[in-house]
Amino acid sequence: MKKFIIPSIFVFTLFVCMLFFQNCTASKEAIANKSGAQLWGENCLRCHNTPSPTDFNDTQWKTIGLHMQDRANLTKDEADKIVTFLQSAN
Amino acid sequence: MNFNRFILIWLLLGLSKSYAQDSIQSQLDAVKSEITDLKKIEKSHFMIRGFTQFGLDASSEDLSFNMTSFNPIILWRHGDRFLFESELEMEYMSNIFSLNLGYASASYLVTKGLVIKGGKILIPFGTFGEKFHPSWSNKLASAPLGFGHDGMVPMADVGVEVKGGVQVGSAKLSYAAYAVNGPRIKDGTEEPTEAGMLSFENMNDNNRNKAFGARLGILPLQNSSLELGGSVYYALPGSFKSPFAGDPKLKDLNYNNVTALLTALDLCFVKIIQPLSGVLDIKGQYNVSKISNATYFNPSDTARYTFQNNASSYYIQVAFRPSLLDNKVLKNFELVGRYSVYNTPKKSLWESEQSQIQFGLDYWFTWRTVIKVSYQINNGTMGGSGMSSMAGMAGMSANVILFHIATGF
Ligand code: HEC
Repeated sequence: MKKFIIPSIFVFTLFVCMLFFQNCTASKEAIANKSGAQLWGENCLRCHNTPSPTDFNDTQWKTIGLHMQDRANLTKDEADKIVTFLQSAN
Repeated sequence: MNFNRFILIWLLLGLSKSYAQDSIQSQLDAVKSEITDLKKIEKSHFMIRGFTQFGLDASSEDLSFNMTSFNPIILWRHGDRFLFESELEMEYMSNIFSLNLGYASASYLVTKGLVIKGGKILIPFGTFGEKFHPSWSNKLASAPLGFGHDGMVPMADVGVEVKGGVQVGSAKLSYAAYAVNGPRIKDGTEEPTEAGMLSFENMNDNNRNKAFGARLGILPLQNSSLELGGSVYYALPGSFKSPFAGDPKLKDLNYNNVTALLTALDLCFVKIIQPLSGVLDIKGQYNVSKISNATYFNPSDTARYTFQNNASSYYIQVAFRPSLLDNKVLKNFELVGRYSVYNTPKKSLWESEQSQIQFGLDYWFTWRTVIKVSYQINNGTMGGSGMSSMAGMAGMSANVILFHIATGF
């Protein structure tokens, strides 16, 4: 019985994911239009508290952006928008 | 006469005004160019960051200060795509100082959604090791059971990796696949009581096989608040030659066909909950390790034995911080609870069943400076024989109160 737990959790997860893929097209535009500030608010608190734009200067943000894109597997679009926002608001 | 004087004064005034204007203009230009210089993003940039944690652990038997981490991080970015990152781990725990290379790798952003990496990389097996380990982001002072020394989870290793994040409709995928040197199986020649355990801490590979692994994460919600992930890791941890090759009685004991398959599921949900005026943070990971059967040798009774080499561990952590409150003090407090379990193989000499509950109250001075006060309740039963401390327990068996201060710099 125990043998089946992991595969069934995987299958269940995949199933849930499929459901989410179903209704994806409608919101595609909404995602593409997200602002850097919104993406910063949504993504940067997932692993640690969110740093404020004033914590670093523009050059530092660029380096941190690349570091976090790698660490958090952010999409390039997200990372670029977030860095531009942080650089404009510091 | 009067008229001439008037012209002269007028001329002088005009000149000085334009002179003043000129000098203001030139000063303005200088300030402007200074600002653009400052704003200019350097092509190549070197940065030292890192984090440290220091604290006091108090149990009924023991009271000790621990420097649980001092980890400087070096980052070097060149252009838009190249990043070198490295972390040194220094630790002073239970009177032992250790220095470790946490990671040291170069990554290159090839195209949108594809990063290639090489060097000593953090292994994306689940999420704790790669994403939540720094002491200023870990809301509790210790790692969950099963992680760290004598744990069952690979944390970092030398090899190559491809990874990235891609938008797929309203969901986001996070993927990583890697090949690394891989673990070594402890054959009992050095630490007989740990025969059959995997050791992930080797810089030199003991065989020609690499370990392979991958993680696939999905963030199904548009606001990225939820991530579910699954990981696999496969390795042949035995060396080609029998470790007992010189011993005619034992030379048939060989581990070169032993296989190790590790799987993990992880979950992360972090979201601002408006009605509760705060951030709810739920994290968890479930790990299973299956190592194929082999025969080991117990020098204390000179008998051969075997066991089903399966281990598992998990943790679930829930935290809440009322960060939207107006009260300047209350909003910096965070409550956190974690439950973790680690079961090592039955009938092995390192058999144990451990569980741990930890409650903590954190106070955040800045986004990454925190005081953590926590109470840790450890439970464990040991099977087997001859073990002085339980695997992965870092020598702690009693209940402990921990006061720690952690900061990122
Ligand atoms: C997947 C988890 C994760 C997410 C999401 C994340 N970070 Fe990080 N962050 C880390 C880790 C882990 C470190 C510690 C550095 C290390 O060990 O590599 C870190 C370190 C940092 C640092 C310290 C400097 C450095 O680069 O080490 C800054 C600043 C930072 N993060 C900003 C951000 C911002 C801004 C975002 C939002 C785009 C973000 N982080 C999202 C995991 C994450």
